Amino acid sequence: MKFQLKKIAAVMALALVFTACSKDDDALGGAGALGLEFDTVFGTSNLILNTQTNTTSQGENLKISDVKYIVSNIVLTNADGSTFTYPKSQSYFVVDESNIASQTIELTNIPSGNYTKVKFGIGVDQTQFNLGASGQGDFLTKAQDAGMMWSWSAGYKFVLFEGVFSSATVANDTSFMVHTGQTGTAYNYTEITLDLPQQATVRTNVSPDIHIFADVAKIIDGTNKVKFSDNTMGGMGAMIMGGANLPLITSNLSEMFTVNHVHND
Amino acid sequence: MKAKYFLLLFFYGLISCSNDDSGDYQKILIDFQVPSNFPPLAYDLSNNPLTEKGFELGKKLFYDGRLSSDGLISCGFCHIQANAFTHHGHSVSHGVNNAAGTRNSPPIQNLAYQTTFMWDGATSHLDLQPIIPFTSPIEMNGNFSSAINMMKNDAIYQKLFKQAFTDGQINSENMLKALGQFMVMVTSSNSRFDKFRRNEVGGTLTQDELDGYAIFNQKCASCHATDIFTDNSFRNNGLPVNPAVNDVGRYRVTEITQDLYKFKVPSLRNIEKTAPYMHDGRFFTLDAVLNHYSSGIVNSPTLDSNLNNGSSLGIPLSTLEKSKLITFLKTLTDNQYLTDTRFSEY
Repeated sequence: MKFQLKKIAAVMALALVFTACSKDDDALGGAGALGLEFDTVFGTSNLILNTQTNTTSQGENLKISDVKYIVSNIVLTNADGSTFTYPKSQSYFVVDESNIASQTIELTNIPSGNYTKVKFGIGVDQTQFNLGASGQGDFLTKAQDAGMMWSWSAGYKFVLFEGVFSSATVANDTSFMVHTGQTGTAYNYTEITLDLPQQATVRTNVSPDIHIFADVAKIIDGTNKVKFSDNTMGGMGAMIMGGANLPLITSNLSEMFTVNHVHND
Repeated sequence: MKAKYFLLLFFYGLISCSNDDSGDYQKILIDFQVPSNFPPLAYDLSNNPLTEKGFELGKKLFYDGRLSSDGLISCGFCHIQANAFTHHGHSVSHGVNNAAGTRNSPPIQNLAYQTTFMWDGATSHLDLQPIIPFTSPIEMNGNFSSAINMMKNDAIYQKLFKQAFTDGQINSENMLKALGQFMVMVTSSNSRFDKFRRNEVGGTLTQDELDGYAIFNQKCASCHATDIFTDNSFRNNGLPVNPAVNDVGRYRVTEITQDLYKFKVPSLRNIEKTAPYMHDGRFFTLDAVLNHYSSGIVNSPTLDSNLNNGSSLGIPLSTLEKSKLITFLKTLTDNQYLTDTRFSEY
C-alpha cells in the first residue's frame, strides 16, 4: 500500500513534470475528475433486461436478465504519450446493468491533461489475486454483495451474463449462465484499450465523461461463436463457467467495448 | 538442536514490554522458523508479516461462530485441535442449519508449505482459502458485509484490528490476512518422526517403524512426498465412485476430463488422529485405507498411473508390510501440536 502510494505519487509527479514542460497553450495544472460511463447494448439496440428478445447471428433468441462485470486497473494515456495509472487499490469496480449508479465510474484526482486512450481490465488481475488478501481492501465484500464471488472457488466472477434462450433445437425458454473467471487451466483476465474519438480534456473545472458502449452480444457472438444450444446439460440449461469456452469468451471481450463519444463539460 | 529453538517460536517476554490495552498498532513480530526437515515456505510472509496481534486476531476469527449465518458454526467447529483440526468421527460435516457437506474435513497443519488447498484445489492462495467455507451455503454461509458489521460493533475486534494492522481497518482484506497468519502458525513439526529426521533427542524409531518407513519410501512417497507428505498434486486413487454424490473432484474446478475424480494428495501428519479417511471419509481405519490400496482399486480412465502397472491394479502390500506401515504412520503423531495451547479455543 505504501509502495503503491509512492509509485502513484511518482507517476503523478512525472505527469506534472511532463505537463509543465509541454508548450501547450492551455495552462495545465491541478487535477480534475473523469467519468467512465458503461452503456450496455445488444448489437444495435440498447439493452432492455428480461422483456426484450435479442437474436444472435447463430439464430438463438436471448432474453437477458443479468449483466455484471468487474472493471479494474484503469490507465489513461495523455496526448504526449505519458500515462496515468489510477491508484490500484481504488481501481476495482463492479458494473451492474440493473444498478444505474454502478454504470458510471467516477474517477477523481486525475491530473489535468488531454487524454487520448483509456485502458481497463475485465476481472481481477492475476498479480493482485496471487497476493492473497493483500491489497484487496473491501473489494471482496463489494464483490460478494454484488454476487460476483464464486463460493466454491475462492475467486471472482469477472463477467456474469444470464438469462433465458430458445433456438431451432431448444424450443422453450431455457436458462443460460455465463460466468467467466479463473479455472484450473486459464486465468481469463483480459485488458481492453480504447482509443478516444476525441480527447478527454481533464481540467480542474472540466470533468469529461467517456461514454462506452458494452455490446453483450459479443460475449458469445464475436469472432468466437459459442452457441447455448450446444451447451445444454440435462435439464439444467446452458451453464458456461469453465472449460474450453471460457478462453474463447474472454477473447471476445476485446470486441465488446467501444467508445461512442466523449463529453467535455 | 534446531527443534529446541523452534519450540521457542514465540518470545512471550516481549509482550510484557508493550501496552496490551492500547488501540495502537503493535508491531510485535513473530520469529517464524522453518523446521530443518521441511521444504521451503510456499507462503510469502513479506505480504503479510506475522505479528502477535495478527495471530491473536486470526485465532479469534477461527473460533468465532458469529461469522456464520446462524451464529454457531466457526472454522473450529469442523477443525478440532485434538483431532489434528479435523472433524473426528464425521465422514462429512454439517454446516449451518444442519446442512450436510459432501467432503471430509481435512487437517490444517503446515498449510504454509503447500501450494493448493481444498480437496479439489479450488484455491491456490492460503489467504483466500477461508472464503470457500465461509461463504459456502452448506458450511458457514457467511456474508462479508454482515461479518464486518458484526466486528465493527464489537469492542474486542475494534481493538484487535487496530493492534494487528497498520491501517487498522476492519475489512475483508485484514480479516483474511489475520486468518492467514493463524493458519501459517499452525505447524506440526515435533512428532517422533520429525525428531528422528533431525537427529534430536526423542527421535528413536523401533525396527518395525524403520521397516515401515522403508516400505513407505518405496511404495507411498512418490505422492506423499517430502516431510510434509504431499506433492500438492491431484490424483485419482481408484476409489469406487459413490453414485449418490458423484463427486467429480478436481474436474469441478478445471472442467477438463483428465481431472475427473482427482483429489488432492493429503498430508499424512497426525493421521492416527484424523479418521475417517479419504475425501469423503469413507474409510474408518488405516487398515481399510491400506486394504483399498492393495486390493480395492477400481480402474477408470483417470486412474493414477502409479496404481496401474499394466497387469495389475494397486500397490502390492503383504499383511506384515501393512502392519509395519501403520506402525510407521503412527510416528507422525505430534502430541505437542495436538495440545499446543497457542492454537486452542480455550
